Amino acid sequence: MTHALAYAKSEMPATVRTLETRTEEAPLAVSVRDLVKRYGDGTEANRGISLNVRRGEVVAILGPNGAGKTTFLRQVSTELRPTAGAVSVFGVDAVAEPDCAKRMMGITPQEAGVFEALTVREHFEFFARFKNLAKREAREAAHEVIAELGLVNETNKRVGALSGGQRRRILIGLALLGHAPLLVLDEPTTGLDPSSRRAVWGVIRHAVDRGATVILSTHYMEEAESLSDRIAIIAEGRLLAFGTLDELLARLTRSYRLSYRDPFDPTGDFRVRHCASFAEAQQHISRELLSEYSIARASLEDVYFALTGELFDQSETEASR
Amino acid sequence: MKRATDIICVFRIQLASMRREAGPFLLAALVFPSGMYLFASAISGGGVNHEQNPLRFLAGSIVFSLSLTSISWLGYLLLENRFTGRLKLFATLPIAPSSYVFGVLVFALVQAAMATTALLIVGRAVGVRMRPNFPLLVVVILLTILCLCGLGVVVAACARSFSQGSLLTDTLGAGLVFLAPVYYAPEMMPRSLRMFAQLLPTTFAAQAVKTTLGGGHAIGVELLALSLMAVATLALGFRLMRWREE
Repeated sequence: MTHALAYAKSEMPATVRTLETRTEEAPLAVSVRDLVKRYGDGTEANRGISLNVRRGEVVAILGPNGAGKTTFLRQVSTELRPTAGAVSVFGVDAVAEPDCAKRMMGITPQEAGVFEALTVREHFEFFARFKNLAKREAREAAHEVIAELGLVNETNKRVGALSGGQRRRILIGLALLGHAPLLVLDEPTTGLDPSSRRAVWGVIRHAVDRGATVILSTHYMEEAESLSDRIAIIAEGRLLAFGTLDELLARLTRSYRLSYRDPFDPTGDFRVRHCASFAEAQQHISRELLSEYSIARASLEDVYFALTGELFDQSETEASR
Repeated sequence: MKRATDIICVFRIQLASMRREAGPFLLAALVFPSGMYLFASAISGGGVNHEQNPLRFLAGSIVFSLSLTSISWLGYLLLENRFTGRLKLFATLPIAPSSYVFGVLVFALVQAAMATTALLIVGRAVGVRMRPNFPLLVVVILLTILCLCGLGVVVAACARSFSQGSLLTDTLGAGLVFLAPVYYAPEMMPRSLRMFAQLLPTTFAAQAVKTTLGGGHAIGVELLALSLMAVATLALGFRLMRWREE
């Protein structure tokens, strides 16, 4: 794979400017300033991350394993106290007043357990009550979320009898209860099969249509591209890039991706070369006498690679398709 | 109002979780303490030589049952919630950690009430002569549960792993009964242990339960000691049980 990808500021396309204007106008939902998390052993999981999330936006956090995505989300969701920096959720200081901030959030942690002996309905009804819903409202909210998540046939089944994917959907559903204005979802679709994943995307989109703001971390490029308004790429605890997909792509100077099979190694894997223009890709094809190739515009995966220097986990990307 | 709802919900979640384990729970709550009662009676000569022995053994078995319920099983439940990620679910919600602890405490109280009632029935069935002072007995059991649950909460909050925590709760649950003069008179203990044993919550609990089962009410010292210990252990437990990590 060709590694030489240069980054440069380029002019923002008109469509991007329109979206930017729209999001710039919306009031802030979450404001993060110089967020630092340093653990006792000296490890710095987050090193001065700053970003704003506008109301109604979906922001995807991408990054390699150990990049600091979960640490970032745990600090935003008040589960982890930052070493330094500020987090504001709808104007509430989430560091100083975590309980107040939490009232405005629906949270799906990356690793959380369910009560295996409870039924699906009981899970939602009990947890809706914690969100200050009256008994009847809790029952209605439970029915609504069960229907949205496609778990109607499992309503009265014990959670212990459900598959891993169905349990994961329950965790997402718990965050959706009560229509919290901010959803913080840490890898919400990890472990789900492609159709369940798409169903969850639908649920998230529906929540956004109702006015929710969403911050989610994901391992799936397709998920970030499909769901989010803006994408934050984090590596080694730093925010490397934050913007719309078009903004991120516009920063690539070599924005064409040529995939080809080496004619001298016909059984080898496909190789990738990034080119500045379509013409440059064609020239390479002629020069190298390539017969098996494809040319495409660069994707988020290319941006990710350019920024982090790491290949995206192919197995996970494939699994999502 | 919100706090009361939260506590009731936590309690109901634990109760619903135990539906399928109610039978084994009752069996365990009865078999161990009843077995200990019979064992103690047998090795002491069946209470032929000492009129007070059956009452002491029944009181000891009730305290044993309370200790199992409050430290071993409650501790296990808290550890399970913590190390299987269920605690995280609560931590994501706008509820206070104390509501979670109180909800679990109420659950332990219900368990204790069931186990104590069952043991009193067993006591009657095997012919133990008693004139229980029920109002006082309820107070003693309540304070004992709070005190021992506090210890369970502390262990569950401090344990570094599930296995470490469950080992500690099992050791404390049984150890606090057998290291205290619960089934036998304090004079039968080694002198070096006697002082230490006198300060254990199970010692005060056993004495108070025995007195109330006999119809007595002179348990002021025991109630005071149990109250102070309950406040201390629960205060420590609440302090350690936090949603937010540093």
